[in-house]
Amino acid sequence: MKTLTQAEGRETSLTSRLPLPATFRAALADGAAMALAVVLLAALFWATGDAALQRVASYAAIMLTAVCGLQIFSGNSGIVSFGHSGFVGLGAYACGILTMPAALQGATLRNLPGILAGHELTLGGALLVIVLFAVLVGALSGGPLLRLSGSGASIATLAILIITYTLLVATRDITRGSQPFYGVPRNVGLWTSAAAAAFALVAARLFRDSPVGLSARAAADDDRGAAAIGVSRRGAWYLAWILSVVLAFVAGALMAQFLGAFSPKDFYFHLSFTMLAMLILGGMTSSLGALAGVVATTILIEIVRRFESGAVLFGVELPSLFGLTDAVLALSMILVIWRRPLGLMDGRELDLLRRFGRGATPPAELPAIARQAPGGEIAAEGVGKRYAGVVAVDGVSLSFAMDMITGIIGPNGAGKTTFLNIISGDVEPSSGTVRIGRSLRGHSAVRFARAGIARTFQNLRIFGRMTVFENVLVAARQVEPDLARAERAAWRELALMGLDEVADRPAATIAYGLRRRLEIARALALGPRFLLLDEPAAGMNAVETADLVQRLAEVRTRRGIGIVLIEHDMRLVMNLCERIVVIDHGQVIADGPPAEVRRNPDVVAAYLGSRSLKAQQDNNQEDSPTEDTSQ
Amino acid sequence: MILLQQLINAVSLGGVYALLALGLAIVFSIVGLINFAHGELMTISGYVLLASLAMGVPFAASVAVALAGAALAAVAMERIAFRPMRGADVTSLLLTSFAVSSLLKVVFQNGISARPQPVSMPGWMTSATAFGPVTLGHGPMLCIALSICALIGLELFLRYTTMGIAMRAAAADFDVVRLMGISAGRIIATAFLLSGLLAGLAAMLWLAQRASVDPLMGFTPVLKAFIATVIGGLGSLRGAVLGGFLLGVVEVLLQALLPSDILPYRDAIVLSAVIAVLMARPNGLIPAVNAQRS
Repeated sequence: MKTLTQAEGRETSLTSRLPLPATFRAALADGAAMALAVVLLAALFWATGDAALQRVASYAAIMLTAVCGLQIFSGNSGIVSFGHSGFVGLGAYACGILTMPAALQGATLRNLPGILAGHELTLGGALLVIVLFAVLVGALSGGPLLRLSGSGASIATLAILIITYTLLVATRDITRGSQPFYGVPRNVGLWTSAAAAAFALVAARLFRDSPVGLSARAAADDDRGAAAIGVSRRGAWYLAWILSVVLAFVAGALMAQFLGAFSPKDFYFHLSFTMLAMLILGGMTSSLGALAGVVATTILIEIVRRFESGAVLFGVELPSLFGLTDAVLALSMILVIWRRPLGLMDGRELDLLRRFGRGATPPAELPAIARQAPGGEIAAEGVGKRYAGVVAVDGVSLSFAMDMITGIIGPNGAGKTTFLNIISGDVEPSSGTVRIGRSLRGHSAVRFARAGIARTFQNLRIFGRMTVFENVLVAARQVEPDLARAERAAWRELALMGLDEVADRPAATIAYGLRRRLEIARALALGPRFLLLDEPAAGMNAVETADLVQRLAEVRTRRGIGIVLIEHDMRLVMNLCERIVVIDHGQVIADGPPAEVRRNPDVVAAYLGSRSLKAQQDNNQEDSPTEDTSQ
Repeated sequence: MILLQQLINAVSLGGVYALLALGLAIVFSIVGLINFAHGELMTISGYVLLASLAMGVPFAASVAVALAGAALAAVAMERIAFRPMRGADVTSLLLTSFAVSSLLKVVFQNGISARPQPVSMPGWMTSATAFGPVTLGHGPMLCIALSICALIGLELFLRYTTMGIAMRAAAADFDVVRLMGISAGRIIATAFLLSGLLAGLAAMLWLAQRASVDPLMGFTPVLKAFIATVIGGLGSLRGAVLGGFLLGVVEVLLQALLPSDILPYRDAIVLSAVIAVLMARPNGLIPAVNAQRS
C-alpha cells in the first residue's frame, strides 16, 4: 500500500500541470498506479529467485492480460463473452507458427501452406502481425455479434468459441489438429508477461473513461436512454470488442512462448471458465476488478491445488479430488454473485485523484450558454401509429417552433407518449412524415438526437451505474469532440440544474427528484434545438415542481430552444406553456393558447365526460373559469 | 434409400435438440435465465436411470424414475441456486448457472466416475427393422415419436390448463400476472419442473442411441440447444422447437453430404450459417413477444 501511495503522489504532481481533461487524468493516474503495482509484484517474485513461484506469477500476468481484454468488452457492454479463450488460442497458434524455428517446423508441420512457413520472427515481430490479425478477426466477428443484444449475444460468443475450437482442431496441416503443438521457443518470462499485464491494465482503465468507453457503458446501462442522446450502441461496443479481441490475441501469443507446447483443448471451455471466474470474482465493471480478481483467483488456485491430489490436514487424510480447483472457483463465483454482485472491488476503480482531493471539480468559470439560432421546427404531417389493430396516433399534423414552450395534454392512453416517441425518432410512424429541418436518412432516435432533438422519458432512463457527472458528460461528448470542453459544458449543465453537489455519486443512488433533473441536464448537454419532456414533474411534490417550472422557463429564455412537454399537472402546464395541444383518441382536439384551450368544450368533454360539460358551461356563465380544469 | 435413413436420423437428433431448446426457452421466457446447468439435468437423469436399473427396477419404471429425478433436480436447482437471487440482473443469473454447471460436473466426476458407465438398454430399442430395402433403427423412430408427443402435450398444457395459461402470460409480462394473484414462486417452479422433465426425456432419447452415461453427457447437446434457442428467437417456445429441429437436420445432413476432407469443419460451417441467419433476423426466426414501456 505504501508504495502505491508514493506512486500516486508522483502521478498527481506530474499530471496536474498538463492541460489534460480531468477524466483522462484520473484514469491515467489509476492506470499508472496499477501498472506500477504489477511491476513491483514482478520485482518481488524475481527477488525470491524461486523458479516455480515465478512461473505462477508469469502465468497470472498473462491471464491478467487476457482478463483485461475480457473486461474491456464485457465490463463496458454488460455482455458476458465466452469466446475470448478461443481468441487466446488463435493468438497462441499464430505466435507458434510465426516464431518457431524453421527446421523444426519443417519436421513437425510438413503440409504447412508455404505462405505461413519459415518466418522465424522474433516475439516483437510476431506480435505486430498478430495484432493486425486480431483486428481483422475482431472486425469480422464483431459485426454479426453486435446485431444481437443481452443473452443472445452471450450465446453467440459461445458459438464463436465453438467455431474457433473446431477450426483449430480441423486445420491439421497448420495446427497439428488435436495433437499437441510443440517446439515454440520459450522466450516469455516474468518481465515480458508483467509488462504486457501492466500495459493491458492501463489500456482497460483508460478505455473505461474514454469517449468510446463512456458511450459503451451508457448503452449497457440503458439502451434507449443512450439512443436518445445520440449514442449508437453498436458503434461503441464494436470498438470495445475489437480492442478486447486484440488483447486476448496478445495474451495468447505470450502464452504460446510461455508454455512452448499446447493443444486446442487448452483454449476451450476450461480456459473460458477460468477467465470468467477471475473477472467476476474481482468485479466485471472495473479494471481494478480484473486485477483483484486475477490476484485473488491465483492465490486461491495455488492453495487448493495442494489438496487436489490428496493431503493430510489436521491428521485427517483427504482423498484426492479431481477438479477441486474448478469446484472452488465455481463456489467462490456463486458466493461473490450472491453476496457482492459487483465483485470484490464492488465495481470501483482506484480513483486515486479523487481520494486525494485532486478529483474533477467544477471549473472556476463555466462556459457561456450559446443561444440557438431561431428558425428550426419540427413538423409532423399526418402522422399515425398502429400497434396490431390499436390506433395509438391517428393522422396528427402539428408543427412546433423554437423559442416556445408547448404543452401536450390529454387523458391517459390518448397517444401523447407515442406521439412524442415519433417526433423524437424513437418510434417509426406507420403513416405520415416527420421533418425536423434537416434531411435525415432513416427514422432513428440516434439520428434525431444528433440532429438536435433531445428528450427525457416518462420512466426515467438515466445511466444508473455511471456517476451523475458521467451521465451528462457522455451527452456533452456527442456534440463536443474535445473532452476538456465537453467536461466544462457538462459542469455547466449540472450547475444549472443544481446537481453539482452530487456529481460524484452513482446516478442510481440520488433522490428521485434529482434524477428527473439529471435527465433534463443530460438532454440539455446535447445543445439541442428542441427539448421534448415526457411528464417531467411526475412524482414530484409541489416545491420540486415549482422549482422545475422556474428552471424550464429559464432554459427557454436563455437558450431560445423549443420545449415540448407532456404533463398531467395542469397548474404547471397553464403556468409554463404558451401553447397547448390536446390529444384524445390519437387525434388533436384542440390547439391554442392556454386560456382558449381551457374554454374549449371538446377539451372539457374529453377530460370530464360530456355530462359534466353542461355543468361546467352553466358554471362559466355564473363566474369566470377557475384555475383548475384538471382531472 | 440411404437418404431416407439419414433423414430419420436427422429428425431424431433434431427432436432431442428441440426438447432441450424448449426446456431452455420455457425457463428463459419467464425468468430471463439461460440455464447453463440444463445439460447437467440431462446427466443427472442418465445417472438416475443407471442407478435405478442397477437396483433391479424394471426398465419402464426406471425411465419414469429418471424423468422424475430430472424434474426434481431442476426444481431443487431453482430453490437452492437461483431463488436467492431473484430480481438479480440477467448476467448474474447466467453466470450463476454457469458456475452451478461447473460445480456439478466436478461432483459427478468425483462422486460417480469420470469414465463413461454403460447403460443396458432393452434390445428392441437398439435394434432395427427392415422395411424392404430400408432399414430403420428403432431408437431414432422412437425418438421422433416421443418428441412429437411431448411437444403436443406441452402445447395442450400451455393452452388449456390454468397454470399453462398463467405461464404464457408470465412470459409476456410477469409483473401483471403477479398482480392477478398468481404466485410467482409456483410459476417459476413449474417452469423449472417442465424444463427438467424435457431434459430428462431428451436424456432418455439420447441414451437410447448411445447407451452410456458420463459426466459430460449433457454438455454437447445442450450447447447445441443454446444455439437452437437463439436461432428460433430467445424466449420463443415455437422458435426453440423450430431452431432445434433445424439445427439437428442441418447437422446430420452435412455429416452425410460433406466430402471427408471438409467434414472436420462441420460445426464451424453450421455455426457460421447460424450467425448468417442471425445477421438477417437478429431476433430469431420466430421472435418472442415482449411488453416494454417508455
